[in-house]
Order: sequence, then structure tokens, then C-alpha cells
Amino acid sequence: MTEILAQLQPIFQDIFDQGDLEISRGSSAETVDGWDSLAHINLVSAIEQEFSIRFALGELEAMKDVGEMIDLMELKIGKSD
Amino acid sequence: MNNYGWQDLELGLKHEFQAEITEKMMQNFLQNSGDNNPLHVDAAYAETRGFPNKVVYGLLTASFYSTLVGVHLPGQNCLLHGIDVSFLKPVFVGDALTISGEITFLNEAYRQAHISAQITSGQGVSVSKARIKVGVLE
Repeated sequence: MTEILAQLQPIFQDIFDQGDLEISRGSSAETVDGWDSLAHINLVSAIEQEFSIRFALGELEAMKDVGEMIDLMELKIGKSD
Repeated sequence: MNNYGWQDLELGLKHEFQAEITEKMMQNFLQNSGDNNPLHVDAAYAETRGFPNKVVYGLLTASFYSTLVGVHLPGQNCLLHGIDVSFLKPVFVGDALTISGEITFLNEAYRQAHISAQITSGQGVSVSKARIKVGVLE
């Protein structure tokens, strides 16, 4: 879980164009500056490409924060092993 | 104009078209943008900078990326999300360009397609490359 969070850091920094951005499990659209709908789409695309996973729209709509995203990613990465 | 829907798109789908840069295009771009940098409007000045003629605006050539996605791939259902362009070689009035693009990624959940695109001049020399993100409306 910690490893995924570490791998997500440069993705978030790139998408939000903030080199010093540090996300945590509690980070969300309400706490990260610039996390609007288009940034969210770009973020999901970047994560799907980096981790070779795919999200369903329903899964994405249910996510409240980065922690829930990481939990779902763990499941998907585990299934692809 | 093409009219690809989301279900019609697949990885590797390609399109290309040709265009030629004209003096009229340069004048229109100058009028629209107000960019009167002498490199683009003064051939004599451009020669002092080592170019054989005035250099075509990079964003004029990049405007063909708009045509690529808005008219060809996917066409009518396109909503441009973002574009990352690199300019590799200078372009001059009269150059015949080929603009091409290929779908490299599809985000199913949000219907976002990524397109790897390039513009080539003359004998296939790449003058520009772009990574384009588009939403597909239907």
C-alpha cells in the first residue's frame, strides 16, 4: 500500500503540475488544488497506463479519496498477477 | 468529416491528411495572434538568423492537430482535452505537410482517447510531434 502511494506521487505532481505536491491517503479533490473534472480524467488515464489496470465508471464515482483509490488499485493489481 | 463514436475506436487506428502552408495563412495568423516577431514576418531578418526564409509560426502548424482530431480522428464527436507539442524542425511557406495520428490509449470509464501525432515535411522529415488527449462525446 505504501509502495503504491509512493508510485502515485510523481503522477500527481505531473498531472497537477506541482513538483512539491505530496499526497496522502486522505488527499481528495477537496484538498488538492486544481483537482477538477478534467484533471481527474487525466489522472485516471495516467494511473491506468502506469499500472496497466482499468477502472469502471461506477468504481470511480464511489471513490472518496486517494486511500480508497489505493485500496481498489491493490485489488486490481493483485488480480492481474 | 469523420464521425467515429466511442465504440468505433480501437488502439492503432490511424488517420492522416495533407496541407500546404501558404502566405495567406501566415498573414491570417499574424492578424489573429498579433505575433509580429520578425522571425515570422521579415525574410531578411530571418536570413540573418540563419534561416533561408521567414519561419512559419509553430502554432500555425500545430493548428493542424486541431484538424486532425476535430475532423479526422475521431472527428465530429471530439472534445479536445489537452495537447503537448514539440517543434523539431523549422517550417517554411510552401512546405507540403503530412499530419498523422494514431490512437495509443483508451480510457473506457471517461471515454478519453490518447493520440500520438506528428507532422512531416517533404521527404518524411518530422517537424513536429504531439501527444493529444481528446474526449469522445458519443
